[in-house]
Amino acid sequence: MRRSLASRVLLLALAMAAPAAWAWAPTKPVEVIVHTGPGGGSDILARAVATMMEKEKLVPVRMQVVNRPGGNGAVAAAALYERKDDPNTIGFITSVWIAGPITTSEAKITVHDLKPIAQLMKEPAVIAVRADSPFKTLKDFIEAARAKPGQLKQSGGSVTSRDNIVRQQLQHATGTKWAYVSFPGGGERLAALLGGHVDIMVIEPQEAGEQVRAGKLRVLAQLTEARLPGYPDVPTLKEAGFDVTPTPQIRGVVAPPQQPAEATAYWIDRFEKLRHTASWKKYIADNQLEEAWVPGPEFAQAMKSIEAELREQFQQAGIKTVR
Amino acid sequence: MKPFVRSGDFWSGIALAALGAYIVSEARRWTYVSDEGPGAGFFPLWYGGFMVALSLVLVAQAVLRGAAPAEVRWSEVRRALTAWVAFVACVALMPWIGFMAAFALLAWFVVAVMARRPQRIAIPVAVGFALFFYALFDWGLDLPLPHSAWF
Amino acid sequence: MDVVGGLLQGFQVALGFNNLVMCVIGVVLGTVIGVLPGLGPPATIAMLLPLTMKLEPTGAMIMLAGIYYGAKYGGSTTSILLNVPGETSSVVTCIDGYQMARQGRAGPALGMAAIASFVAGTFGVVALMLVAPPLAQLSLAFSAPEYFGLMVLGLTMVVLLAGDSLVKALLAMLVGLWIAGMGSDLFSATSRFTFGRVELLGGIDFIIVAIGLFAVGEVLGNMEPLNPPSMIPVPKGLRNLMPTWQDMKDCRFAFVNGSVVGFLIGVLPGAGSTIASFMSYGIEKAVSKHPERFGKGAIEGVAAPEGSNNAETGGALVPLLTLGIPGSGTTAILLAALILWGFKPGPLFIQDSPQLFWGLVASMYIGNVLLLVLNLPLVAVFAQLLRIPAYAMNPLILGVSIVGVYTASGSMFQLGLLAFFGLLGYAMRKLEFPTAPMVLGLVLGDNMEKALRQSLMMSQGDPSILVRPIPAVLLSFAALLFLVPLFKKLNAFRVQVLERDS
Repeated sequence: MRRSLASRVLLLALAMAAPAAWAWAPTKPVEVIVHTGPGGGSDILARAVATMMEKEKLVPVRMQVVNRPGGNGAVAAAALYERKDDPNTIGFITSVWIAGPITTSEAKITVHDLKPIAQLMKEPAVIAVRADSPFKTLKDFIEAARAKPGQLKQSGGSVTSRDNIVRQQLQHATGTKWAYVSFPGGGERLAALLGGHVDIMVIEPQEAGEQVRAGKLRVLAQLTEARLPGYPDVPTLKEAGFDVTPTPQIRGVVAPPQQPAEATAYWIDRFEKLRHTASWKKYIADNQLEEAWVPGPEFAQAMKSIEAELREQFQQAGIKTVR
Repeated sequence: MKPFVRSGDFWSGIALAALGAYIVSEARRWTYVSDEGPGAGFFPLWYGGFMVALSLVLVAQAVLRGAAPAEVRWSEVRRALTAWVAFVACVALMPWIGFMAAFALLAWFVVAVMARRPQRIAIPVAVGFALFFYALFDWGLDLPLPHSAWF
Repeated sequence: MDVVGGLLQGFQVALGFNNLVMCVIGVVLGTVIGVLPGLGPPATIAMLLPLTMKLEPTGAMIMLAGIYYGAKYGGSTTSILLNVPGETSSVVTCIDGYQMARQGRAGPALGMAAIASFVAGTFGVVALMLVAPPLAQLSLAFSAPEYFGLMVLGLTMVVLLAGDSLVKALLAMLVGLWIAGMGSDLFSATSRFTFGRVELLGGIDFIIVAIGLFAVGEVLGNMEPLNPPSMIPVPKGLRNLMPTWQDMKDCRFAFVNGSVVGFLIGVLPGAGSTIASFMSYGIEKAVSKHPERFGKGAIEGVAAPEGSNNAETGGALVPLLTLGIPGSGTTAILLAALILWGFKPGPLFIQDSPQLFWGLVASMYIGNVLLLVLNLPLVAVFAQLLRIPAYAMNPLILGVSIVGVYTASGSMFQLGLLAFFGLLGYAMRKLEFPTAPMVLGLVLGDNMEKALRQSLMMSQGDPSILVRPIPAVLLSFAALLFLVPLFKKLNAFRVQVLERDS
């Protein structure tokens, strides 16, 4: 992982401070705000992180998950903002928090109003078709789409989701067009593909894994920088010949806007230490995620650039943007 | 001259027709059909339209049937609305005085004022219920209820 | 592995001491959660996940599954006694269950809910065991056009919930459709009817509408009279606390209806137990010889939905365990749990982990029996709740409503919505608008719109996709349903004319 000078200095400072007692450490239970209900992606991650922090004795108190679903993260963002200078509150974000406010004017608080702690990971995806489909490579699909514009179909999430963004980027790069059908739930998208109602989908590597093993799905390409260990034989987009860098789907941690600097430094350090633990490494491997550590102010920069990319993609796709 | 008093059906029909008209006007701001299928405005336009049509049928029925307006005991409606205002007050006060106090007040109001039971019954019931809910959910199940600054 | 061999192995696993204890814990916890409004299986299972890491996976899965289907047993309790749905799928039980309680028949209502849950729950397990893999494959043929047909069929059930005025029922349903459309549109990212409020971006949760319309609205109505009747008679004696043999006979079809409808709808990913309970209620009323009894305390109106929401759990496990596709919120968490424990849910799951699958199936048989044994005596306990005088009952219902909504959403805004829908429920009662169609419209409206738009996107705008075999059948049923009352009226008119002539 590349580290900038700023983060190196930060880490050096933290390392020097480490042997001494922390200037600040939580003394009451920590609240972790997530934007999904129980069982949703962020909720599961937050609970897993809480368990890992406890197991590795990184945090002396309990970490409690607080669900604030609604509004594509807007409700949770507002809840975090209201905590103002609370050192005992953090929040888990995903790209949805960045994408949401671009198209919804109701969202009053955006990620830029909150204090960044760190980006933890990227969620890769793969492009899959049914095992009995005529497309053996992504090129086959693109050629077929070129021959019959708008006839082939992809299932995916909402129009602002990564699934559609990838589709927009590919369509734009190759000059082809195919239809997109939104399904709110991952299970429904997969069922639509398996049942033959659509031809292709973008899917998490883990969901696809079992279907591939059972011989139901074929993976055409992976949306990653380097090949995932679970898919050694599948080309990345670049390797497959498409000069497209998909906008990353990230997960990170943020804090209320006026959280004291020492609390934020504490959290950055805790998450940094967590990354090196065995439980974390196992979690990343089991869930086929990509490590992508970006601490502090750089994280804010990274989010800004993601937002700019997304805005461009939305406008290209004809989705109305409000900011 | 017949007093121009209309039945509940008449007024609710008018209200629903207005709602339907509002829905249709909003729906027209959105895409009706795009090349990707029906847009955001498609469904609202249709059900809004049906709403207007059916509510006018309701109004027509009310007028044609010429039914006498239903026996509305306004004193009773006032009581129900008072209870509702108490409910709203309870919810509004909750962030300030916490669930226990707000709910105890509501419960007390319902028992003492609405049901006119004596204080020696009303107060224990109110306090008892408030404590019960708090103990079961907030303390026992770890599902937080709104707190004020103190409890 | 053949069924008998698998089942024998399963019972061996499930009857082991540890797993039996897990089963007991699961079903007891499930019942408690079901009884408490606002707390549901998804939240509880998610909270218990870290704990389960310390347990042996088969036992942990047995416990979590016990919570899942156990909650469906308990959900009817507050629905019947307080008109507050304890579980999202128990909304329909409020309609007839609460009326039965007001007539002093709370005991039989609660008892029948438990019995129907047992019958249908067991059916669900049997079906899961016997037809899971082939049915799962078949269910893949069900996609947006078929859902659309199903939703339209469901919405025409409004005809059956209508009561006296079809126009008012349709209007209530249309308002429900409007509320269902509130929020951020999935397909175009346009915000519809959010009035600028961020809390409305995700739409309004139907359970808040249901609790507001049913429970709070009812309480406001109770506030009207100065001297209300004080208590509902609680019959003494065990005989009066249980359904009679006549009741059981009346519910024969409801048992079948609930089991089959619930299971089949459970198999479809995306359709939920609430839809299943509405459907079986509608079907029950459609085939009844005395449909006018529904809504006034017909015991079949409790048996059918309670049965179907239990059979639905068996059905929902089909795509989860045979394809690795989660069909609902709870099964999604169960999927995450299986992955956390290192299993690989997918088409090869049963092959790879027969112990877990068959152990789970066997434990579900045991669990359903345990739940019946647990819940029947509880009927006597809960029925005592009705001894509370009316002046205390009303604040109790309000308290349960507030706590239920707040613990589920954590939001004062939602409490505000509760107050609004409470007033609306009262107004609807005074103006004689039926409230059930609004909830029906809300539950189904969103799904129906999505299904229609997905279908048309799939077919590039060609509407003939909607008359593929399955949707065509469903849509014809819907049309029939709609026309039946018309025929009845015409027939009645014809009979009248004939009688006058003779």
